[in-house]
Amino acid sequence: MEQHNRFWRVVLLAAPLGVFGIFVLWPLFSSFYYSLTDWNGFDPNYSFVGFDNFAKIASDRLFLQAAINTAIWMVAAIVLPTTLGLALALLLDSRVLGARVFKSIFYLPICLSAVIVGQIWIWIYQADWGLLNTIITEVTGEKYKYAWLAKPDTALWSVIVAWSWQQTGLAMVIYLAGLTAIPGDLLEVCEIEGATPWQRFRRVVLPLLAPSTVVVVALSVINSLKGFDILYIMTGGGPFNSSDTLAMHMYNESFKKYLMGYGAAISVVLFLIAMAIIGLYFRQLRKVDRIYG
Amino acid sequence: MARVQLSDLRKSFGQVQVIKGLDLDIADGEFVVFVGPSGCGKSTTLRIIAGLEDATSGAIRLDGRDVTRTRPADRGIAMVFQSYALFPHMTVADNIGFGLQLQKQDRALISRRVAEVAETLHLTPLLTRYPRELSGGQRQRVAIGRAIIRNPRVFLFDEPLSNLDAALRVQMRLEIARLHQGLGATMVYVTHDQVEAMTLADRIVVFNDGRIEQVGSPMDLYEHPENRFVAGFIGAPAMNFLPVRVLGTQLEVPGMATIPVPPGKEAATELGIRPEHLHVVDGLSADLSGEVELIERLGAETYAYVRVPGLPLDLTVRLPGETALRARSSIALKIDWTRAKWFNASGRVL
Ligand SMILES: Nc1ncnc2c1ncn2[C@@H]1O[C@H](COP(=O)(O)OP(=O)(O)OP(=O)(O)O)[C@@H](O)[C@H]1O
Ligand SMILES: [Mg+2]
Repeated sequence: MEQHNRFWRVVLLAAPLGVFGIFVLWPLFSSFYYSLTDWNGFDPNYSFVGFDNFAKIASDRLFLQAAINTAIWMVAAIVLPTTLGLALALLLDSRVLGARVFKSIFYLPICLSAVIVGQIWIWIYQADWGLLNTIITEVTGEKYKYAWLAKPDTALWSVIVAWSWQQTGLAMVIYLAGLTAIPGDLLEVCEIEGATPWQRFRRVVLPLLAPSTVVVVALSVINSLKGFDILYIMTGGGPFNSSDTLAMHMYNESFKKYLMGYGAAISVVLFLIAMAIIGLYFRQLRKVDRIYG
Repeated sequence: MARVQLSDLRKSFGQVQVIKGLDLDIADGEFVVFVGPSGCGKSTTLRIIAGLEDATSGAIRLDGRDVTRTRPADRGIAMVFQSYALFPHMTVADNIGFGLQLQKQDRALISRRVAEVAETLHLTPLLTRYPRELSGGQRQRVAIGRAIIRNPRVFLFDEPLSNLDAALRVQMRLEIARLHQGLGATMVYVTHDQVEAMTLADRIVVFNDGRIEQVGSPMDLYEHPENRFVAGFIGAPAMNFLPVRVLGTQLEVPGMATIPVPPGKEAATELGIRPEHLHVVDGLSADLSGEVELIERLGAETYAYVRVPGLPLDLTVRLPGETALRARSSIALKIDWTRAKWFNASGRVL
C-alpha cells in the first residue's frame, strides 16, 4: 500500500515538475549559460567571454536609460492603478447611483489582452484623427495637439496611462472586496468616537485594507515586470529609446541585433532585480500577516 | 453623567415597524438593563440612543437636550459592542486612546489617560500587544477602556459578555458593577443572561416585540410582574403556567381538586407558580401529585420535571441539591398560594 502510494506520488508530481523544468528552469539556466558567451542566436560556433557581457552592461548608455525607464514604469504602474483603483472602489462602495454598472465598466479593460488595449490607445493617441487630439482641438484649438507616442518626452507616459487604464479595474475589484470585508462595527466605532471622514480613511479603512493592498501591489509588480507586450505594441521602445525598458532592451539586443549573449546577460540582471523586489515583498507580507494572520 | 429620556420612539426598516412607541426615563447614574426575546428591538433601541440608527419618529433627550438629530460623536455616549470592535492593526494602547487621538489631544495627556484607564482595567502589562494576542476577557476590557477614556455621559453595552465563558462572565460582571460604582455614569445594558440582568440592574426594562412590557427593579419584576409575558420571562427556570376554569364559586385546575375561587380572581384563566414555590410534601396535604419525568442536578439545587395527569405541560419544581428523588419517583406537591399569580384571558395579572 505504502509502496503503491509512493509510486503514484512520484508519477503525479513528475508531470508538473517536468513542465516547470522544461519551461522555467531550463530557459533560466540557459540564460545564465549564454550570458557568459558571445552567441548570436543561430551560429553553433560561439565562445565563452567570461563576464564581458556584464562589463558591457556597466558602460551601456542605453541600458542605463532602460533601467531608469523601468524604474519609472514600475513605480507608475504600481502607484497609478493602485491609487485609482482604491479611489474608484471607495466611490463605488458608497451607494452612488449606478454603482453596479460602473463596476462592470471599469473592470472590463482587464478582460482585454494587452495587444488590444495597446491598439485602442494607439488610435486614441493618433496624431491627426485620434480621440485625444480631436478633443483637444475642439476645446483649445490646434495649439495643444501633440504626437503623443512619437515624441520622446511623452511616449513612455502615454503607455503608462494606457497600462493604468487597463490595470485599474483589477485593483478596484480587489479593493471593493477588501472594503466589504471591513466589519461594520469598526466603522460605527469611528462614528461614535467622532472620526472625520479623512481620519476614518487614514487611520482605519486604509490600514484595514492592507491585505488587499498587498495583493494589488503584488499583482501590479508581477504584471508590470511582464508588461512588455503593451510597450512592444505601442512604441517598441522608441522613439530614440525614450520608452525602452529592460525587457524591451533585452528583446532589441537579442532579436534585433542578434546579440543573444548580451541579451541573456541583461535578462540575468532583470532576473536579479525581480528577485530582490519579490524578496522585499515577502518581508512586507510577513509584517501584514503578523497583524491580520 | 446624564439623564436619558425616550419619548414615543419609533423605528421602521422599510415597511416593517420594529420599535413601536417607547417611553422610558433613565435617571442620571442609573444602571438600566434591557431584556427580551431575540429580535424584539433591544439592539435597535440602543443604536438609536447611540445615534447609529435614526429614529423614524419620537425623541431622545440627554439631560433635557434633544439629541434626536445630533451626530453620535456629539452626544457624549460610548458604546461597547458584543464583538468588541477592536481595531486589529492598533495596539491596546492605541485602541484605548483612539478617541483622544482623533481629538488631536496632547500626546503626553493621551498616554497619561491611557495609563490610568489601563490601570483601572488591569491592562497595563498588555498595552503594546495587538488585539489578536489577547484573550476574550482582555479584549472586552480593552473595548471598555476605549469607552471610558473620554468620560462619556452615557455608556451603552450590547451583550458585552456573551462571547465569554461562564467563569470569565462572572468576573467581568463584577468588574462592570465596580466600574459603575466608581464612575457613577448612566449605563444601558442589553443582555440575554438573567443573572446579569438581576445582579447589575437598578431597573430592568422588559421588551417584547418592539414595545416595553414592564419597567422595574429586579425584585419588583420578580415579585410583581404585571402580565404573563413578564412573569414568564423573568426568573429561571421559568414560571409554571396552569390553565384554570372558574365555575361559579369554584375553581377548576386540571389534576387538582376544585377549590373556592380566591377573592378578586373571578376572571382568572391561568395560574402561575414559580418552580421555587412548589414544595414537596407527603401525600395528605398535597395540592398536586405526579411522577418525576427528569431530574437535573446542578449541585446547590436540583430541578425536577414532574408529569401531572391532566396538565398539558410538565411542572418544573425546584428542590434542594441533596434529594433522594429520581426519575420515575412519584411526587406530591403543595403550592405556596401566597406567591401564586393569577392571569386573565388577556394575560394581565389580577
Ligand atoms: N438594518 C436592519 N434592516 C432591517 N431590519 C432590521 C435591521 N436591524 C434590525 N432589524 C430587525 O429589527 C428587529 C429588531 O432587531 P434587534 O437587533 O433590535 O433585536 P434584538 O432585540 O437586539 O435581538 P437579539 O436579542 O437577537 O440581539 C428584528 O426583527 C430585526 O430583524
Ligand atoms: Mg441585539
